[in-house]
Amino acid sequence: MSTTIDQTTVETTRAPVGPRKRRDLPRTVLPPAVAFVAFIAIWQILVTAFEMPVYLLPGPADVVGAMGEAIPSLVEPTLVTMEEAYLGFLLAAVVGFGVALLMARWNVAERGLYPYMVLLQTIPIIAVAPLLVVWLGAGTATNMVVAAMIAVFPVAANTLTGLKSTDRNLVQLYSMAGAGKTFEMFSLRIPYALPFVFTGLRIAAGSSVIGAIVGEFVAGIGGGRGGLGYVITTNATQLLMPQLFCAVLAASLVSLVLFGVMTLAEKLLLRRWHDSALPHDE
Amino acid sequence: MSGPRTTTIGAPTRGAHAPLVTFEGVTKTYSNGFTALAPVDLSIPAGEVLSIVGPSGCGKTTLLRMAAGLSTASTGTVRRDVERTSYVFQDPTLLAWRSVQANTELVARIRGVGRAERRRAATEALELVGLSHVAHSLPRELSGGMKMRVSLARALASDPELMLMDEPFAALDEFTRERMSDELLRLWRERGFGVMFITHSIREAVKIGHRIVVMAKGPGRVADVIDSPSPPTADAAAPRDEAALDALAREIAATLAIA
Repeated sequence: MSTTIDQTTVETTRAPVGPRKRRDLPRTVLPPAVAFVAFIAIWQILVTAFEMPVYLLPGPADVVGAMGEAIPSLVEPTLVTMEEAYLGFLLAAVVGFGVALLMARWNVAERGLYPYMVLLQTIPIIAVAPLLVVWLGAGTATNMVVAAMIAVFPVAANTLTGLKSTDRNLVQLYSMAGAGKTFEMFSLRIPYALPFVFTGLRIAAGSSVIGAIVGEFVAGIGGGRGGLGYVITTNATQLLMPQLFCAVLAASLVSLVLFGVMTLAEKLLLRRWHDSALPHDE
Repeated sequence: MSGPRTTTIGAPTRGAHAPLVTFEGVTKTYSNGFTALAPVDLSIPAGEVLSIVGPSGCGKTTLLRMAAGLSTASTGTVRRDVERTSYVFQDPTLLAWRSVQANTELVARIRGVGRAERRRAATEALELVGLSHVAHSLPRELSGGMKMRVSLARALASDPELMLMDEPFAALDEFTRERMSDELLRLWRERGFGVMFITHSIREAVKIGHRIVVMAKGPGRVADVIDSPSPPTADAAAPRDEAALDALAREIAATLAIA
């Protein structure tokens, strides 16, 4: 046990950057790749061995086989879901950040608003979606709002935590020098909170896609533009399992892209100074 | 500020002005009834280094915060006759996302000092602490001692009459710590500011103080105020009476043991 650990430590500290990266590749990519292949293989073996009917559980081969046909028909729904999820995410990011700013700046705002933020988070979103359909109509607007509702809390809660966890001595330094609250907010608290903000945004990236799809479950093809949620429900009712799996994969892709963009933005913005964005061995 | 002064005993401007800060019968009692400070009488003359040594919980930091105007006395009066005060914390307390130069300019920038003026003052302060070569680096690229020197440079950049220092070198290793107290004395010779220096280290207190305030706890109070038998002078080369300072350190240790 201990020898293994020692060896790893020595390697990481000694190896220069270039060769280390190349040698790291098998170490970081290989385990998940092996797990993936094993998972697919077991899935296929089980499906074949038990002669699973395709309408219950399609094998990987069935899913891949359906892709050629499904992909062209999935492009439009994917774009619809993307639009709803990403706009909802944007709305949640702006509102969540703004509300957190208000709450951090004025205690009264925090006391007044926080209970309702929590309430918003505890309402099962699937229960209000039909209500929103009635109010906003079955369409992109509704699904965007559902996405925003589910994504706003992680942004607001994490941003608020960040804004309030600013180093006390720095706050003292600012107030001793006579800094106004607004200056302190922009010069000190917001930059200090950025890593927290990004944590919130990454959680919200996944949530907003869930929100958009839940909205589509309820809204159906309203407005004439069905998203992936609509494709999933129709495929499910018709027991078109391979097509359903393809739609689910497309939905993960939608959220993966947003998650990736957020992670990249965080790295670019914080890599120079924040520990969380540094390589692990530094 | 005028250049180096020639007084050989005590601080450059000792006795020349009214004290920078005067505590008269100052006490501090918190709302929960805890007495942090029993009546304290103390004054900090311009240009003098006053070191304060004592155990945790003896009210050292409370005293410092009052001198900074961050905390008010429960009874008694704190008179402050000082325009420019700088506060140095135990941690470097730097903005991680700003360069060393920007960090050094920070206090001046908050105070609304013009760009050219604050740049000049910060550049000079960085030169004084020997960090001109890392002005464009970020704090995380520096060692602990260098970060602390940036913190000192930031304090110096506003040309303070009084430096309030709350265990500024406590987080550094012994070797760096020794160098930093030499550094502080050098800066003091250069600039002639008054210093209120809190420390846990008797050695450090004796080394840099013209007067050493020994504090005790339960409740926090001043147990003794001792004039250094061999204080630092404007002449860096002047020998110090190490034997007398050692004796003083032993005496303080004994006072702290019974207080």
